[in-house]
This record gives sequence, structure tokens and C-alpha cells, in this order.
Amino acid sequence: MSTVEPTSPAVQESPQTSVAPSHSHAASTAGRLSTFLSTYVFSKDHKVIGLQFLFSTLLWFLVGGLLALAVRWQVAWPWSDVPVLGKLFAQQGGQMAPEFYTMLFTMHATVMIFLVIIPILAGAFGNFLIPLMIGADDMAFPTLNMLSYWFMWPAFIAFGASFFVEGGAASSGWTSYPTLATNVNSSPGSGWGQTLWLVGLTFVGVSSMLGSVNYMTTIILMRAPGMTMFRLPMTIWAMFITAVLQAFALPVLTAAGFMQLADRTIGTGFFSPEGNIVNNAMAGAGGGQPLLWQHLFWFYSHPAVYIMILPAMGMVSDILTTFARKPLFGYRPMVYSVAGIAGLGFIVWGHHMFMSGMNPALGVTFMVSTMMIALPSAVKTFNWLGTIWGGRIQLTTSMLFALSFVSMFIIGGLSGIFMAATPVDIFIHDTYFIVAHFHYVLFAGTAMGVWAAIYFWFPKMFGRTMNEFWGKVHFFLTFVFLNGTFFTMHILGAVGFPRRLADAYHYETFHHLQPLNAFMTYCAIGMVATQIIFAVNFFWSMFYGPVAGRNPWSANTLEWTAPSPPGHGNFDYQPVVYRGPYEYSVPGIDGDHLMQTDPPNQAAAAAAAAAH
Amino acid sequence: MKMLVRTLDMEYETVSAFAAQAGFKTPSGDLIRRDTRGHLSSGLFPVWVLGGVAVVLLLLTTTGCGKTAAASYRLNMVESAKQRLKPEQEQQVATILAALFGTPDEPIAPSECGLDAAKLHLAAGPVRSDIVGRKNGLYREHCAHCHGVTGDGMGPTAAFLNPYPRDYRPGVFKFKSTERADKPTHADLVMVLRNGLAGSSMPSFALLSDAKIDALSEYVKYLSIRGEVELALMRAFFELDDEDQGRLPEDREFLIEEIVLPVAEAWQAAEDALIDVPEMAADIDMAASIAKGKELFYGNKANCVKCHGVTGLGDGQVNDYDDWNKVVLQAQKTVQGGIEQAGEASTWDMDADEAVEHRAELAWLDRFQKVLEGNALPPRTIRPRNLRQGIYRGGMRPLDLYYRIHAGINGAPMPAAKGTVPPEDIWHIVNYIRSLPYDFNGTLGVDKPMVARDRL
Amino acid sequence: MKRFAAVFWSLLFLSVPVLGVATFIVGPAYDIWLPRDVSEHGAAVDGLFYFILVLTGVVFIATEMVLFWFIWKYDESKSNGPGRYVHGSHTLEVVWTIIPAAVLLFLAIYQMNTWADVKMRRPNMSPTVEVVGRQFEWRLRYPGRDGMLGTPDDLHLVNDLHLPIDEDILIQLKSMDVLHSFFLPNVRIKQDAVPGMKIPVWFKAREEGVFDIVCAELCGWGHYKMKGRVTFEPREAFDRWLERKYAEQEATQPTGSEATMTSRAAARPALFARNEPL
Repeated sequence: MSTVEPTSPAVQESPQTSVAPSHSHAASTAGRLSTFLSTYVFSKDHKVIGLQFLFSTLLWFLVGGLLALAVRWQVAWPWSDVPVLGKLFAQQGGQMAPEFYTMLFTMHATVMIFLVIIPILAGAFGNFLIPLMIGADDMAFPTLNMLSYWFMWPAFIAFGASFFVEGGAASSGWTSYPTLATNVNSSPGSGWGQTLWLVGLTFVGVSSMLGSVNYMTTIILMRAPGMTMFRLPMTIWAMFITAVLQAFALPVLTAAGFMQLADRTIGTGFFSPEGNIVNNAMAGAGGGQPLLWQHLFWFYSHPAVYIMILPAMGMVSDILTTFARKPLFGYRPMVYSVAGIAGLGFIVWGHHMFMSGMNPALGVTFMVSTMMIALPSAVKTFNWLGTIWGGRIQLTTSMLFALSFVSMFIIGGLSGIFMAATPVDIFIHDTYFIVAHFHYVLFAGTAMGVWAAIYFWFPKMFGRTMNEFWGKVHFFLTFVFLNGTFFTMHILGAVGFPRRLADAYHYETFHHLQPLNAFMTYCAIGMVATQIIFAVNFFWSMFYGPVAGRNPWSANTLEWTAPSPPGHGNFDYQPVVYRGPYEYSVPGIDGDHLMQTDPPNQAAAAAAAAAH
Repeated sequence: MKMLVRTLDMEYETVSAFAAQAGFKTPSGDLIRRDTRGHLSSGLFPVWVLGGVAVVLLLLTTTGCGKTAAASYRLNMVESAKQRLKPEQEQQVATILAALFGTPDEPIAPSECGLDAAKLHLAAGPVRSDIVGRKNGLYREHCAHCHGVTGDGMGPTAAFLNPYPRDYRPGVFKFKSTERADKPTHADLVMVLRNGLAGSSMPSFALLSDAKIDALSEYVKYLSIRGEVELALMRAFFELDDEDQGRLPEDREFLIEEIVLPVAEAWQAAEDALIDVPEMAADIDMAASIAKGKELFYGNKANCVKCHGVTGLGDGQVNDYDDWNKVVLQAQKTVQGGIEQAGEASTWDMDADEAVEHRAELAWLDRFQKVLEGNALPPRTIRPRNLRQGIYRGGMRPLDLYYRIHAGINGAPMPAAKGTVPPEDIWHIVNYIRSLPYDFNGTLGVDKPMVARDRL
Repeated sequence: MKRFAAVFWSLLFLSVPVLGVATFIVGPAYDIWLPRDVSEHGAAVDGLFYFILVLTGVVFIATEMVLFWFIWKYDESKSNGPGRYVHGSHTLEVVWTIIPAAVLLFLAIYQMNTWADVKMRRPNMSPTVEVVGRQFEWRLRYPGRDGMLGTPDDLHLVNDLHLPIDEDILIQLKSMDVLHSFFLPNVRIKQDAVPGMKIPVWFKAREEGVFDIVCAELCGWGHYKMKGRVTFEPREAFDRWLERKYAEQEATQPTGSEATMTSRAAARPALFARNEPL
């Protein structure tokens, strides 16, 4: 381990005070307050912002998980007394109303997608890691960065408040299709709830946009000397390409969101056909097309799903190499695959719309492009397997999560091929087969990748490592329970069990599926309960975990040369990069890896320093 | 690039000096930063810890742990407020009703009502399957979220439906085969369940088994009888003498005899009181009948255009209310008027007794207003039927249309034509109405349908 | 101890392919599998499903086994030397790009015909029935004796769809208010009903039976209860049923035997004289 020994032992500074302004003679209270605000609340330090994102999204993860449990409860035991939430329906003896169920799954998906996965990948990890991994002292636009976090707060408030307005939160599905979503009379949640939903969505979009501009600029312009594009770790490549995806896809969603807001508030008819009478209310302005929304929405939301996985793929690549003590197998193919996924991701949106009434000929074209997008993902999977082949695998918690990412992503990716096949999609569209697929890629994939990343970079963020034993318990239970919950959804989908139904058992076809759903709900409850272990580990370790040095995992990328946690400005001195990432098990040196900053003709010197 | 190549060749120690010299930014602060004991470099982290804990605590405290209490009937608060019942009087009504009719989970009915206990058992209670696999809780599963556990038409979904779900408690039902003021027959309730009410949110339950539909119809009757008894009890307080001290007699015989029996008998009488429908002549000249019907439609006797409009689009007049909404509307007017009146009065000129009465009046108005806000749905107008659509709530058979015209629609502004229009003439009107959606003057063809909507 | 841990974790990863395959074997044993198919094109759809299942199944087992094997074999407590300092293999990259690409392209082309059959090659006929989705029911309209929709002899029903077997069926699908989706699991048919659009749906049923109609696109709070029933029966039984239902629709008396109702309805003149079939 190449740890730089401090030469002046008397310097006892905590980075917190080093962040404070130099005039130590305290100013007035207002001055101290504004200092406090600018240091801890409206900080422009990318690490602080990253952690703000992290904590916010983990909190919303809890909310989304609890919403999911309520959904699972109703699916398993429809019309029974719901724990905790049943109190809202005391008149009915705790039995939830059907519109409440539609709200639950709508908000579960909305919260998880827009308030958890997208911000945690780009906002939390992107922010924290990008300057550190490329050798910069901060982002290109620190103020913009700070704004990108604080623009999330109106979204938090909008989505949070929507639960308490008349009619409840949005209940038209996270896909918010017209005319259900546009017509105020079509469902209780299509009143204020839906309007607030659109407002929240807009703010999330703005936040993401600000972030993506920042990331692209930083990665292009602020790399350390020697850090060429092809020496960037995969995390950064993934973040970069994700940022490009965000920049090009988001405007379409924002525009569509405004169109729907206009339809709902000022009486336009972008998405409403002529004379559309819902629930015996008067028809509004017509002349629109419901399918238009679907095209606009999915034009963003398909790249969005790649936004929701590419950063995790990048981070998993970094983690796998670190703990397999091996270079990444096929670095350039991996980079090209990420770019390929992103590029192809713009021409596959119609595969969400095969049954929508869109011209079936378009179905053929989208089917071909969707089939092809399986290819780069397959290439990546093979490269990951190649990475661990012949390695010296250290099965730390982080590595276990990263390996499970690979394992679960295989399942998620392969199940996608079924739905890419349009004739099969006729049957499985809007069934639990689809639900299984996206939960595998998003939860068993990305969320596992996120946990891997948390365990991996926690020492860098907080200066202490998380507890390995409880991390492995967390991993084991999560792994078992998630597979119990979601793998069985594949065969449920094969029966044709539809999504979004409050009670499917009154159909003859689905009558016998209640016990299986009860099993899945038990697994889901176990899965959410297991996260208590993670939460306790996370917060405990923050204060009482074993102190970590700069490089507890003996990784080779730039962030591990900075202190743990890094102070303002990140590095002790400007890093200069001499080699690529993933230089592990390099033959002919004394240690088992070379840092990116180790100069080529100083291998011996680096080895000597490591011996201390 | 050249600079890069140069740095690659340099000694390690000189790189940073070179970098500084070349003008690369170096971080502010001291050169050497030592690792410190772990701490948080983020702002406001305790807030997030507390936030997470707060979310969980909030959930638990506001909603509580443990099972929810069993479903319970809700008192008819609007009527109670209207009758100015005191809390102990409300309590007495609730107790009497519980004794007579049980709870939503355990319904009982006095035998005088003629209700089948087995059917009630099937329909009542929480949704569950019994040992044999029979499904109980049919009402809770299929009906309660719109019609409410009490049958008051105020379930959680009700506020968002147009029109509102039926409130069974006044014992008034719109679509039936009996005279206007009579109760529906069991077959009428079954038919509504089976076919639904086209054009409203009441769905067709035809895919349920006959036994289930039967049980649900019985349960609707049960809730209606219970509701009517509740109304009668509340109104009975008005009839009390001083010596009753504001309490109704709780003698079961008396209650059954005076209150329950009149209600139950009305239901039983309906079974035999179907409207007598004359046969429509088999050799009827349809074109002539339609022409005659049109005459009557626009004529003064039937006066259909007054509400249904000269075009038959239901836009003749759009400001009327059905009886259920009228109750709330009138109550609102009473409260509004009372508040205005009370506002004008000044306690300055009153003596002690008047002042007490005045304050009591204000308190009552305040309570009534709260009840109307919390326990009643905002009144909605009822539009006359658009006859050009071919969608008729009570059914589209000629027979159904005959019933609607002959008996009117109980609870709605649609009047009874009985007595004004002779039976054969009603058939003419029926034929005219049935022709309205197809009122068409052109060439027929596969791509030239009669119904205008289909031409889009 | 470390080796034990490694064995434990690698076995956990082994359980993925094992239990994964087991799920797909045990499921069908408990009737948790594709429902019975009574349509003509269903065999092609199911065949494609099975083909993809086998293909992905093989890839799934192979890759997961490789993952398990690598974790088992290359765990640090077992291996002595350092990791292999390899940055990739150009050959391998080419191989595992070309082969999956070829397989996927083959799959894409292989299925185009089935898709065209179900969604693009509409039979040249007038609709058998019009299905209109509405919150929360399926309103049905049969063209009646004149074979045309939108005339007074149409039969209006709700939720109870009857169709003849062994004949081409063309359904005209519409929606009155919001998006719905007409899903017949046992016929392998699904089509979204879009307000403002008239979408044809066609298939042919080969067996009799009574099956579910499921709404497969969120349409509001009652989406779950938008249940219909489709009955496939021989043409004669279907015609008889149509007659009976039409007679009920034209009823002018509360009671009466089926026969009298039918004969009365048949005897009574139609609403318009111009109702002859074309």
C-alpha cells in the first residue's frame, strides 16, 4: 500500500476548519450563520454536494421501499387489513381503496426512478467521484453544482406534498399516459396530485440537466495532466456518457411535461382526442393524440433506463478489477460498448409501445434495434467474466455486491430479449414478466451496484470502513430475498399475470396465483427489513468504524491518492498521471499494483515506499 | 502533449515543482494534509439521520401499529344535524340500530324484514374465504369503496365519481319496474347488478355467479332498510313528549311495530306491485308510431323537450338536482340562511333566554356546517339524458324505457307520465326515443353508418 | 476459514442457475405457466417464446456457471500467484461480438413473419363485433342482421363477448375515455384501445371454451375489475345466442319464455324500413 507518511506530526487540523475562511477572529453572528450556510448547506464543494445527494436519495429509498411493501401487501392479500396504512381506511376496517393502490405503485416507481436511482448515480457518485478520479480539485462549475442539488428540493417538496392534497398523489402510473393523466376527472390522483407530479418531474429534470452539463465540461476539460480519455476509469466513462444521454434526452421529457401540464391547466389538447368524455365530465379541447405523449415520454425514458445503469456498470468494473487484482479485460471494447448502448438507446424507445396502437411496421424497426442493443451489454458481461478469470479474488462485501451485479444483470438482460421479440411481447406486455425484467436490471442490477459502490467508497467519503461482517450479512439476505421476490415474477408473467391490478384473483386465469404472491411478499418484507442492517452499519461506521487510510483497498485510481476524506481541493498536490487504470498484478514490481500516478521509471521507488 | 511527454520522463520529486511552475492549480491550504479521525465532510448529516427516523416515527405514530379496528357503520350525520339531535340521542340511535341490525361484520335482521340471513352472511364481513372456500365479504370486496360500508354512497372513491354512487339510506331507487313511489323488487336490484347502469360508474357484475348477485341484492336491501329505520328513529325524536326526556322508548316490540315494520312492508309489497305494461301491438306501423311519438315528445302533455331539449341532447335545462343532492343543497341553504339571519340579530337587544337560544342556534348552525363539509358530498346537478347517444342508465330495452316514462325516475326530476299519457302513447314515445340515435337522412352503407359518432 | 467463506459465496452464486432453472421446471408443474392457447397464431407465438427461452436459458446457465466457477477457482485463498496481467484478447472480443450479433439478427428476422400475421395482415372483412373500452367495462356492439355497425338492429352488450370458432374474427377496438388494453390471454392477443382511434384486432379461435378478457393498460382505479368474458362456440350456437340476446334487448314485457320473446322480436317490424342487408 503506497501511503504517504505525514512529515509534520504537529499539524492537527480537521478539514472542517480548513474549509472555514481564514479570518479566524469570529465575525458577527450573521457572518457566522452565512459562513455556516455556505460551508455546510449551500456548499459548492463537490464532495459535500455528493453526500447531500447520497443522504437525500437514501432517505427516499426508504420511502420508495415502504410504498413497495404496501403494493406487495395488496397483491398478496387483497382487501385485507393493511398494517399501518389501514388506519387511513378505518371505516372500511383497514381495507385500502382501489385508487389508493394505483397511487401506491405510481409513487413507488416515481420515487425510485426520479428521486433515488437517477440522483444517487449521477448526483451522489458522479459528484463525489468525478473530480477525484480525474485529478481535478472540484467541478468545472461549483455554483451550478450546488444548484443542481438544491433544485432537487422543490421536487422533494412537490412529490412529498402530493401525498397530502385532495385526491392523493398521482395515480396514473409513473408513465403518466394521457388521457388518464391529462383528464382531471379520470381518477382521483389526476387532480392536484398529477400537477404536483409534473412540477416535481420538471425540477428533477432541471437538476439533472445542470449536473450533466457540469460533468461533461469537467471530464473534458479538467483532467489531470497525463489523464488521457483512454486512461479514465470506467466509472468516469460511464458518468460521461450518462451525462451526454441526460443532455440529449431530457429536453424532450421537459417539453412533454409542459405539454401535459398545459393540457391539464390551461385547456390545450395536445394529448386529448376530440370529444373525449371521461367520467361524464365535459370534453375539453381536442385535436390531440394520446400516442404523442408516449413517443415523447419514452424518447427520454428509454435513455433514462441507460442513465440508470451505465454508471453502476462503470463502478462495478472498477470494483471488480480492484478485488480481482487484475486489469479490466478489454478496456476499449468496454468503452465502446458503453457508447454503443447509449447511442443505440436513442433508437429503441418504441419497444415500450409495441401494443400501443402505433403502426406495426414501426414495431419491426424498433424490434431490430432493440435486439441489437442486447449486443453491447453481452460484450460487457463477457468482459467482466474475463476480468475475474485468473484473478486473485478478494471476496469483500463490495466485491460480492459487484459480482451479484454481473449475475443479476445477466438475468435482467436476457429477460429483455423476450420482450424485444414483438410476438412474444403481445403476450407479456404489461404483465409481471416486464416487472421482473426491470426490477432485475434496476434493483438486482443498479441497486446492488450502488451498494457495492457505497461499501467501496465509504472509506474515501468518511475516513472509516464499514463493518465487513454485517456487510456480508446484508448482502446475503438481500441477495436471497430479492431473488425470491423477483425471480418468481418471471413465471407469474408467463401466466400473463397483469401489472397494476389491485386484485387479479377474480380472473379464472390468475385465480391460483395467490400463494405464490404471498411468498413473494414475505420475501419482499424480508428484503426491506434487511436494509435496517445496512442503515445501522452505515451510520455506526461513520462515527465508530475503523479508521481507513488513503487506500484501504489498494486500488490504483486517482481518488485513492487523496486523503480519506479529502479536504477542500482534494489532493495534496496536483496529480500527474502516467498510466491507465487497473494496473494490478503488474509483473516485475515489488507490490501487486501501480497507482495511476506512479511514474514509469520509478517502479522501484514506489515499491520501496510501499514497504514502510 | 509535449509537456506531457516531458513530465513522463521526469523524476518523481521534481514533477510537482514543475507542475507548480507550469501554472497548474494547486489546492489551497497546506501542502500536507494528514488523515484525520473519521468525520463527516458533508453538511447537515444529522438532519438526514433524524429525517429517516422521523419518517418511520411519523408513520407509526399517526397511523399506529397493530390491526385496524373492525369496520363500523357511520351515523347519518346530516339527518342528525338536521334534527338537532344531542350526542346522547345519537348514541341511543346507534345502540338501537346495533341491537336491531348488528355490525358490518355480523349483520342481523329482524325476522319481520324477511331477509335471508345466509345471504347476508355471504355478503357481509371482511373479505375472506371460509373453510369451504366460499368467499365472504362480497359487499366489502365489490361495493364498499363506492357505496360505503354503511351504504351511504360515500365510500373513499365516491367523491371522484360522476354521478355519485347511490345512497341506499333513504330507500329511494331509480331504476325499477314498480310505480314511482314504490320500492324496487328483488329482481330489479338483481338486474341493476347484472347489467350495471350504462353511462355511470356502476359496472355490470354479470360475471359473478347468481348466488353472489343474489346475496349482494339482499345486502343492499338490508342496508336500505337499516338506513330507513335510522332516518325514522332520528325523526321520531321530534314526536316525543316532555316526559320522554328526549329518549326514545327502547321496547323492542314497539320499535319493530312502529318503525321497522312500515319499512319492511313497503319492500315486501313491491314484489307484487309491478307496473302493468300493455303489449305493444305486433303489427304496429313503426313509422307512424315514431311520428306520433315525436308529436308527443314535442307536445304539452309529456313536455319532454323542457328538460331533454328540442334536439334531444339533454340540454333543455341543466340546473336541477336529484333528491340525494337536494338534501345536501337544501341543508347548505338552511345553514347559509341561518348564519345570515343570526348574523343580523344582535344579542344586545335580547333577554337572557333569547340570548341562550341564539347562541344555541349559532352552535347548531356551526355544527351543521361542519357536518356538511365533512360528511356530505358537494351537491352536483343532474343532467337530463342525452337521448342521441343510445345509452340509457336503466336499460335500453323498450320495456325499460316504458317503465322510465310511465313511472318517471324516483329520486330524479324525471316525472311520471302515468295518468297524463295513455299507455299506447307511451309506446309511441318509446319508439321515437329509440329512433333518435339513428335519426339519419342519407344513404346507408358500410362506410356510411347511421350513427354520427361512427362516422369519425 | 477464508476458503470456507469463498466456497460459501461461490455456492450462493451457483444457486442462481440452479434455482433459476428449477423455478421454470416447478412452475409449470403447479400450473403456473403459459395459459391454454386456443388460437391459430398462438402456436407461433408460443413457439417463439420457447425458442427464446431455450436460447437465453443456455446462455444463462453457461454464463452463471462460468461466474460460479471463476469465483470458486480464482478466490485468493486458493490461488497462490498474482492475478493474470492480461488486458484483453482481440480474438475473443471479435468472437463474442460476432456470434451474439448473428444470433440476435437471426432472431429478429425469424419472428417478423409472425408479427406481420398478427398485426399487419388484416383479413378483408367487416367487423364481427365492436369492442369499446370504457371505465371500467367492455361495451360490445354486434352489427346485427344487416351486417353493419351503427344501425338500429345492433346488439349492445357489456362484458359478455361471444365469438364463433373456426372463423376469422375481426374486432374493431375503440375506447370511450382513457387508454385500455384488450388482452385475451388464451388467444395470445393484446391491443391497446386508444381514445380517438379505431384499431382492428383479428384472430381465429380453434377450440371452444370460456376465457377471460383482461384490461392490460392502467385506466384508473377500476382497472383491476375491468373483467370481461369471451365465449368461443360453434357458429350455430353463436347465432342462437345472438338471437336470444337480441330478443332480450327488444323485450316489451317483463316475463315471457325465450321462444315467445324471440318470435315477438322477429315479428315486430324493424325501426327503419331501410334495414335490408346489403
